[in-house]
Amino acid sequence: MSLQLLANVIVLAAIYALVGSGYVLIYRVSRVLNLAHGELMMVGAYLLVALAGLFPLNPPLALALAATCGLLMGIAVYAVLMRWMTGEAVLAAVLITIALGILLRGLTILIWTTQQFYPGASFGWRNPPVHLARGVQISSASAALVCLTAVVYLGLLVFLRFTRWGVRMRAAGQNPLLAEQRGIRLHGVYALAWGLSTFTAALAGMLLSLDAGVDLNMATIGLKAFPAALVGGLDSLPGAALGALIVAAAEIAAIQYVDPLLSDVVPFIVLLVILAIRPWGLFGSREQLDRV
Amino acid sequence: MRSTAALTFAAALSAASLGFSAGTHAQDAYVIGVTAAMTGPAAGTQAPVIEMLRIYVDRLNVKGGINGHRINLLVEDDQAEPSKAAANATKLFRQENVMLVIDSSLSSTYGPVIAEARRAKVPLLFAGAICPKESHPPKPDPVLFCSTGFDFGYDIPVAIDAIKDAAKEPVKIAMIGMPIPISRIGIEMAQKQAEKLGMTTVDTEFIPPTAADYTPFATKIKEGEPNWGFAYSPWQTEVRTFEALRRLGWGGTYLCYGHIQAEEELKRIADGGFNVFSANALFQDNLPVQQEMRQAAADGKYSYPVSYADEGWITGRAIEQILTKTGWPADADKIAEAMSHLDLDTQGLRGGPLVWTAENHFRTKQYYRFYRYDPEQKSIVRVRDWLAVDVVN
Repeated sequence: MSLQLLANVIVLAAIYALVGSGYVLIYRVSRVLNLAHGELMMVGAYLLVALAGLFPLNPPLALALAATCGLLMGIAVYAVLMRWMTGEAVLAAVLITIALGILLRGLTILIWTTQQFYPGASFGWRNPPVHLARGVQISSASAALVCLTAVVYLGLLVFLRFTRWGVRMRAAGQNPLLAEQRGIRLHGVYALAWGLSTFTAALAGMLLSLDAGVDLNMATIGLKAFPAALVGGLDSLPGAALGALIVAAAEIAAIQYVDPLLSDVVPFIVLLVILAIRPWGLFGSREQLDRV
Repeated sequence: MRSTAALTFAAALSAASLGFSAGTHAQDAYVIGVTAAMTGPAAGTQAPVIEMLRIYVDRLNVKGGINGHRINLLVEDDQAEPSKAAANATKLFRQENVMLVIDSSLSSTYGPVIAEARRAKVPLLFAGAICPKESHPPKPDPVLFCSTGFDFGYDIPVAIDAIKDAAKEPVKIAMIGMPIPISRIGIEMAQKQAEKLGMTTVDTEFIPPTAADYTPFATKIKEGEPNWGFAYSPWQTEVRTFEALRRLGWGGTYLCYGHIQAEEELKRIADGGFNVFSANALFQDNLPVQQEMRQAAADGKYSYPVSYADEGWITGRAIEQILTKTGWPADADKIAEAMSHLDLDTQGLRGGPLVWTAENHFRTKQYYRFYRYDPEQKSIVRVRDWLAVDVVN
């Protein structure tokens, strides 16, 4: 495998890993599969479009505000919609997320139409290539995405392991009843999980839009990241990263050596193989699967 | 808020097609149905066509309609899905008893709509979407007509010939498409044409629209060391592949069809090696009709850049002429008869008139212009002015 192919694998894996982390965060804490994650990512990108129009001369401010809006959007989604699903069947909550996805698509068309937007162009940013080695190049936005993914994963691992709120989130995920009895406010924990999940999705959407623009089709990338999270195990962040790497490598290999058309199905082929061998994913918890 | 946007919002919410009318659905109006990809993957190209058509029709209605009768436009969203297009066709042809239907969607949705049009013997006009072969001469289907600028049967030979003319060295070409029927057929035709002209096709890639990153595809293309790239697909694939190639350091020349987004995008990309060919004029020409379109877009709160409006405007003008000729009372037969004798002055939006006859529901001549961005002039320049191609029987 050439170095360029390796670089392509890492970039694609970073995309899937960053998006996939959002699936894991919510599932790990509340056992809800958020099928509106792709749409939330897309809305994050459109938020950057709006803020880039407002602050074309101050990209850091626009990016920071869009990311913050992403965080608040997740909390709002929980407070307005998902909070009322607490204690209800998981399937009902999942169906609500499907409805949320449809709602978000509709709202996006209403506000931004079906046009393709390039927030980078609003900043006057050309997304120049970054030379990694001789003959190996990736775009600046891709390089930023890889770095950011590493930072997000490191940050989330530290947060979940060493901070009070992180420990509360883990406790709520392991045994919500006991956690509540010990004084942990479940609604606060769940809202934080939704906020963080949407924050990471918005980051992914923003960076993808800086790389290649944004339109309504961006939501499907969220769906492609879903197998990566499942392969790794839905309740494991390291698993999501490894799953993303496996899926990305398989996809790039299919494009390069077999048929580019296979790139759409390869993530799901990998998923089927892994589920057949290890249904709870590579790093997933067997105990949790049994409970489901 | 914008009525079309509100419509698409409602359509997306319900995941079902909804209709809206530009007036009351009455027997004393010209009732025209529309089935179009107002949402879904093709909406970026199709929705602007129908929105400008709606604005055009609204303007006509404000002026009193045609022959003293309003035009009632019933828009149904098919989301570029054949099953939804089939449901729309059933509703429009069987329940709404429309006199004319306009289709602006992906070719994969055409089958059920054409079948219903034939059964009901109601004319079906393809606007801003690929022209079906059955609209072409010498024996077009009596109910199928097309006003769309592009047509792969004529686009491809013109484009590949232009590459041959422009190339200063032996051409090693990479072909780029999307895995949808029309793009596949176009690229396969381009491969044959390139071979006939002595070019070497070094790679052909059909890139799925769901690709998260175009760099892996561009990497494979670049490995073939092409000096030309040719793309014939929806705009996102054409432009994203080019940009990914440039980021990998590819220095060749690229040609693709200039869809409605082309004018905005040529300025954004600002790359002298990025060429487009198009059947429609760009708005930088600032023709009198374009000034009128700008005003109409502003008055009608058009949601897109006005440079997206050509196809919708031309369709609106064609309908105006057809209904004027049809007179009142109108029915599908009379409208089909009027459509078979269309001679529409495109006022410079295209290279010549749009002419339909009983033997030709497509056009008698097809025109193309070639454009690129000139970094020195910092503007879009014409590489080649209107090139007329006879539409053969």
